[in-house]
Amino acid sequence: MSELFVKEKKLGEGTFAIVYLGKKKQQEGEPKDEAYVAIKEIKLDLMKQSDTGDNMGIDISAIREIKYLQELKAHDNIIKLYDVYSDMKTNSINLILEYLPMDLEKLIKKKTIIFNSMDIKLIVLQILRGVNHLHRLCIIHRDLKPANLLIGENGLIKLADFGLARTYDDGGINSHSNLTNNVVTRWYKAPELLLGSKNYDFKIDIWSIGLIIIELLIRVPYLPGKDDLDQLNLIFKVLGTPSEKDWPQVKALPNYNTNLYMYPKPNRQEWRKRFIAISDNFLDLLMSMLEMNPGERWDIVRCLESEYIREFPRPSDQMELVRLMNE
Amino acid sequence: MSESVSVPNQIDLVDLTETKPKTSKLYSDDESDHESENENDDMRDIVCPICKTSRYLSPDMKFLVNPECYHKICESCVDRIFTLGPTKCPYENCNKILRKLKFKRQIFDNIEIEKEIDIRNKVYKIMNKLEEDFETRKEYDKFLEDREDVIFELSNLDSNNEAQIENVEKKLMKYEQMNKRLIQVNKMKLKNQESKQNDMDSVQQNLEKERLALIKQMEEQNLEDNQTYKQKIIAELSKGTDKNKIIANVKMEIKLKKSSQRRKLEELNKVLKSNSYSYNHFNKFQENSNEEFADVPFTPFNGDRELHRKYKVLEDHQLYYDPFISNLGKVSKYVANGFNEKSIYDRLLNEAFLGFGVFIEEEKSK
Repeated sequence: MSELFVKEKKLGEGTFAIVYLGKKKQQEGEPKDEAYVAIKEIKLDLMKQSDTGDNMGIDISAIREIKYLQELKAHDNIIKLYDVYSDMKTNSINLILEYLPMDLEKLIKKKTIIFNSMDIKLIVLQILRGVNHLHRLCIIHRDLKPANLLIGENGLIKLADFGLARTYDDGGINSHSNLTNNVVTRWYKAPELLLGSKNYDFKIDIWSIGLIIIELLIRVPYLPGKDDLDQLNLIFKVLGTPSEKDWPQVKALPNYNTNLYMYPKPNRQEWRKRFIAISDNFLDLLMSMLEMNPGERWDIVRCLESEYIREFPRPSDQMELVRLMNE
Repeated sequence: MSESVSVPNQIDLVDLTETKPKTSKLYSDDESDHESENENDDMRDIVCPICKTSRYLSPDMKFLVNPECYHKICESCVDRIFTLGPTKCPYENCNKILRKLKFKRQIFDNIEIEKEIDIRNKVYKIMNKLEEDFETRKEYDKFLEDREDVIFELSNLDSNNEAQIENVEKKLMKYEQMNKRLIQVNKMKLKNQESKQNDMDSVQQNLEKERLALIKQMEEQNLEDNQTYKQKIIAELSKGTDKNKIIANVKMEIKLKKSSQRRKLEELNKVLKSNSYSYNHFNKFQENSNEEFADVPFTPFNGDRELHRKYKVLEDHQLYYDPFISNLGKVSKYVANGFNEKSIYDRLLNEAFLGFGVFIEEEKSK
């Protein structure tokens, strides 16, 4: 199988995987296929040994990635997996993925690009649609951040990196105690995760999206904590320390410290002051996505049904995003 | 007309300064404030270059500029020099003829901005077509762009290049002549709109005042009531009837009174909300754009939602009692994570029905 694709250039490297830019090899009698693909090479040697030297086999994150990508690839806003093959020579598993040249992090950092409200809406809408598809099929992404939102040459935004995703089966009641709270990149971690909850649900993704949207507006990470403790403190400072009143049973969470400094919860006016240029409905959406209590936080369906999505102006055309990207 | 989210656009600033001259203070070089900050830098600024009067000696000195050349001249000099009629600007090498009437206070610190705003206002007065004068959004945008072009050309003119000035001015004149009637009509429209806006604003303000007064009144009343009721209770109790009954009666009375006030407040709030003046310029385009994209209606979900579910979650879950699930609602760690019995049932049913009505062979053959 490995002869079908050629790796051309290294694009990036993670702990267990290297991503290459590649192309389909020309076969005899077949027309030449010029389209680029991304090849994610997952090294088996590296993950083979645990601390005790036992053979660990394939890492669970690789299995998850393959499993969820195969299940979800039909959706527009999710990265496409074309093929999977194992390579004996390099002892690795290779995922052939759609090549997407841009990601939201790069787009946000490129200060020469100015988004208007329609462009913002287009991006928000596409993220919500992608996540809606996951949640509909009972999958939590658990690592939503700008760097994992890739943008294709056609202006479509696609969720990628399903290494931490998992199914939330049995309505979430049986598998509950098995969830680990060590997920999601720190800056986008929901408060219940930081408080050590192991029974969280889809709402942690909503929190991450809320912060991504704000980052899109202000062009810098909104809550950049230095470590998990600092992150929690920062969240409370900016969004108010939750009390038993607005988050029932919060004290029951493992990391809840009763000696917390009680920062006041910002009211609507305060929110308004922080985000002057956005519409009232947009502000409602943000406030509801960053609701501390997961029970009160909107779910993905409610977010997509929000007035902000339906109000005018309509989201701009995808081509607009392409134009911005190439500027 | 690119409307950026983070940066307030200039057009907004113009509107502010135009309609509410009071707010101009925000942007004006409020001299007294400035000088205390950087006294050394602006030493020459506080001396009028014509009469050499310094701010130090006459603290209420004000500077004016004339949109012909934008040279700063103090108020008393303007009075002195231009009262007798239009004269040359007193600055050396500036041969512009100035009139007293045209002098005004400088609003923006930066003279370039000041200049552009003046040009902008001038051009807006002439090229004042409104959204409703256009058939499609594209045409309107084109017009806005043209207008910005004219403003840009005018504000970046080389004052020595006579031919260029003439060229642009001619263009503007031509437009004015061609659209004379429309300009008049729109002028009236804009005026009406402005007065309407002012009316709305004052109505809104009055309502808001009323609301605040009511809240204050409620608070005062509350304090007063608490005291009188206390006294009442004591008085009644001294008569020696059933004490629980008395307290209950008094409480009831308080409740009734409070609820009537609250209702009034709610009504006011509602009026305030519904009255909020939001004129949607794009109502017209809404229709147009709907026509344009009639075959692809906008839906947030883009079809990725089951509108007609094959099951229904009953509102009353007393009908079905699952001790395991209901007991979870009593465990604090589940409650802290937003446990909700209904959503659990919903999720379980969703899972059970997931994939029903999907025919893999059929989908594959597509």
